[in-house]
Formats: sequence, structure tokens, C-alpha cells
Amino acid sequence: MSTTMPTSRQRRLRTWAFWAVPVLLLLTPLATNAYTQFIINGMLISILVTLGFTLVIGNLGQLAFANTAFFGIGAYASAILSAKLGLPWIMTIPLAGALGALGGFLASSAALRGIRSYYLAIITLAFGELMRWAYLHTKPLTGGTDGLPLPRETMFGISLSDDTLKFYIFLAVTVVLVKATLNLLRSRFGRAVMAVRENEVATASLAIPTARVILTTFIWSGFVVGCAGALFARHVGHVFPESFGMLHLIASFAMVLVGGLGSVLGAVLGAVVLTALPEYLRAFPGMEELFFGLIVAAVLVAMPLGLASLLRRLSPIFVERYYREES
Amino acid sequence: MDTPEPLLKIRDLHVGYGKKPILRGATYDVLPGECLTLLGANGSGKSTSLNAVCGFVKPTSGSVLFDGIETAGLSPHKIFSHGIAQVSQARDLFPDLTVEDNLRLGAMRRGGKEISQTLQLVYERFPRLAERRKQPTRTLSGGEQQMVAIGRALMSRPRLLLLDEPSGGLSPQFCEEIAKIIDTLKEDGVTMLMVEQNLNLAFRAADRFIVLRDGEVVDGGDVRAMAGDHDAIVREIYL
Repeated sequence: MSTTMPTSRQRRLRTWAFWAVPVLLLLTPLATNAYTQFIINGMLISILVTLGFTLVIGNLGQLAFANTAFFGIGAYASAILSAKLGLPWIMTIPLAGALGALGGFLASSAALRGIRSYYLAIITLAFGELMRWAYLHTKPLTGGTDGLPLPRETMFGISLSDDTLKFYIFLAVTVVLVKATLNLLRSRFGRAVMAVRENEVATASLAIPTARVILTTFIWSGFVVGCAGALFARHVGHVFPESFGMLHLIASFAMVLVGGLGSVLGAVLGAVVLTALPEYLRAFPGMEELFFGLIVAAVLVAMPLGLASLLRRLSPIFVERYYREES
Repeated sequence: MDTPEPLLKIRDLHVGYGKKPILRGATYDVLPGECLTLLGANGSGKSTSLNAVCGFVKPTSGSVLFDGIETAGLSPHKIFSHGIAQVSQARDLFPDLTVEDNLRLGAMRRGGKEISQTLQLVYERFPRLAERRKQPTRTLSGGEQQMVAIGRALMSRPRLLLLDEPSGGLSPQFCEEIAKIIDTLKEDGVTMLMVEQNLNLAFRAADRFIVLRDGEVVDGGDVRAMAGDHDAIVREIYL
């Protein structure tokens, strides 16, 4: 399947559309109740988690599953810095991102040693499980199985347990990180990321430092997901080790695939749809998991390139630079 | 007339895959500005020789001296940085990137205004690529893909261009076009080391040749001196 690249007019339109969406979203608290707002806040977190994941497995083409480890690192970093060191939660977001980036650096070390494919998958899965073990067995720091609650806090005189305030903060962080990732992928660096995925040896032979490209992508992925972890910690108010296990990883993976592997737009769509879906399925008690699985399978069979491919067919403004359609 | 100092000196080069030796003490020079072609039967070590020069395989022993710098054993990206670019037999293009993106990847390490100027020069050399600059390379014909591969190598402004079977899989008509491309590259002073099975192209485009057999240099000379006596070369290679 081939896609038409957007014209310069369409690219301008895309820029307007990119900024119009968050501006319109600013109005959502006016039209939602507390429950819906909570779900929308969860969507924003899922967007960042899926974005970080798709960068590594979709754009860079490395079968690495350390995403949930980055997420847990970010969430625990934020909770520990808030609860143990008394840092304002808002300040813990970039710090959680930095620690997530450190997790990305550690995860990339396996890829940089030439470990690929299923072997990389197993090693990074083990990294995630190791982190979960660490949360469980460092009780003085993490609270062990009891988890770690975040202290009550106010910002601008409003409690941070207020979902509307959280929404505006989450939205700002999400827009900044999505835009930064888009810019990164549209740059020369994005071209190098795609080249590494297509043919690593040929890329290296063009004097492109493939190791640095791999390392930077993992670090940026870790940063984005680490920041998402900090948002999650405040979103739920109490972090538990169980939140960062295989179930979360599988759900994130499903979001990546349903949205469209390696697509930023796909990450957003996959996260939004699969965060909302379980809420609709609550109408079918006892059958939620079955329906959820069937719907995900049906989407993947009908649209192997994910939901983003639908929009790309509608208009070239949804075509992402250096995005590769696999057919 | 004095012979100029060689740009590339290969000395007693040994390369093998596992325990199987492919090159067994090959020794030859490439002079600045010339096109040297490596001839030989399949398995004689021609492509391995190019791969050793550009770092895709590491020599077990011997020396690859490029403009006085020892490059044997360096990684491909370091060798590329010294000014050696290869157009491999498989072309190694990025099929879903556009022609222009493929070309720009060849100059990734440079940057600045200079890239646009070099890109313009490549488009002047290959006007067909300029017409197809926004097309994914997978949609191009074999000949056009070969132009992209050569153009991408030229984007790095190489001092030595390695061409591994540039006529591979191309029509006889396009082989003539390849020969013309090599002529213009020579006019521009690009030094080339080429592997070519098509003897007509090899003798049409090269200045000198050497014959490899079982990983050793067994013959060589000036192409003009061999004009009209291709049969002797064929006997040397295959019999």
C-alpha cells in the first residue's frame, strides 16, 4: 500500500489541527463529570506510555519490552520523591522522566551488545520483572506490598486530588512530549531511526552512529514513559507493585498494535480507544474480558496497520514523515 | 613518467569466513583517479576484497593502507568517515524512504549548506532521480535504484568509491549507462575500485584490471593493452 505525502498546504493544516485538538480539549472539564474526567486523565497517561513503547518497537524496530519497567520507575520515583523527600509533585515529573531515561539507558545496553529479536525481548521482560521484585523487596523505600501513598498537596490553592486540575497538568505534559517526539522523528534523527530499523548494517556503513541512535531512542522512550509514571502516581494517589506487571505490558502492547505500530497518531488513537473500551464493556458484567479480546482481535484482523491507517486513507495530512507502512 | 603514490595499498591481505580462507595474501594498489577492476571466477575473493576495504569483514592479517592510514579492522562507519564509500551488490537502499531521504542519509555525518549543494550535484548527474526525488525507492526500476545507490555514495564526497557489480541484474542498455556514469566520475577525479562480472563493462570502464584466483592476485595490467584480447583474460579467469 502506498501513501501520498502531504502537500505544504496540508502540512500547515496539520499543524493547525495539532494545536486545535488540545485547545478544544481544554473545554472538556465543562462537559464531563468526575468519573469521565478520571477516565480522560487515564487516557492522557496511556498516550505517553504507548508513545514511548511504539518508539522502541515500532520506529526503532527493537523487540524490547522494558516499557512497563520505565513506567514503574517513573511512578515510584515520583512517589518516593514526594512522600520521602517532600518534593512538590510537579517537580518530580522531570525527575521521574530522568530516572525513566536511566532505565532506558540500562535497557539499551542489551541492544547495544548486539542482542536482538526474541533474546532482547526476554532480557527486557526480565528487566521489568526485576524492577517489580525491587518494588516488593525494598519496603522502607517503596512500601513493599502495601504500596506507597502520595502526600496530599495543593497547587494554586487547589487540591491535587482534583481531577480537573490534574487534567490540565496531564494535558500540558502530554502535548509537550508528543510534540517533542514528533519533532524528533521528523528530524534527521528520525530518518536515522528508520534507517536503523530497515537495515542496521547498511546504516552503519554510511557512518551513521547506530549505537548512538539506538541509545538515544531508548533514553527518550524511557523519559516519556517515566514522566507518564509520575502522572500515574498522582492519578491513582497510591502506587502498588501490581500496577507494573505483565498485564500492564500486554495492555500497552495492544494499544500500540491497535493504534498502528510506529505511528505517533496510532499511539494516541490506540491509547484513547483501549482506555475507553473497558468502560463501555462494563455494561456486560462477566463478559468484559471476552469482548475486549474479541474487539482487539477483530481490529487487528481488519486493520493490520492499526486505526491510524484509516485516517491516512482519508487524508494525507495524517501521513507521518518517515512512517513506514508494512504490508 | 613517475607513478603516483597509490591511494590504496593492499598488502598480504588474508580474509576468511570461519575457518574457510577466501583472500590469501592479496596484494595490489589503487592509484588516485583511476578505476581498477577486480576480475575472477565466483569465490575468487573479489567481493570479499571490497568488503575488507570498507570494513564489512575484518581481515585476519595483512594491511589496508588508505592514503597512509591503516584502516584494516576499523568499523565500517569509521572507514566511511575516512572517505571510502561502497555501493554494494545488494545496493542496501532503504526501500520505504524517498529517493531524497536515501541520498541525504549518505551525507548524514556532514550537514550544513554543503549537503544541499552536493544533493544538487547528484541531481545534475542523475536528472531522473531529481524527477523522482519524492518517490519511495522501492517504486523505482533496478537501474534507477542503482543510480540512487551510487548517488548516495557520492553524497559523502568519497575519495575512493567501491562498486560491487554495478551491472548486476541490469539490462545491457543500462550497463552502457553505468559505463558512462563511471566515465564522468573519472573525469571528476573519483578513484574507483570495482568488481564486475560483465567483462565488456569492466573493460569499457576501467583503466586497469587485476585477476584474482583462489584469493591471490595472479595477473593484472592496463586495460588498453588487453584491448581485443578478452579471450586471454577469460582463459586466465576461468581455466
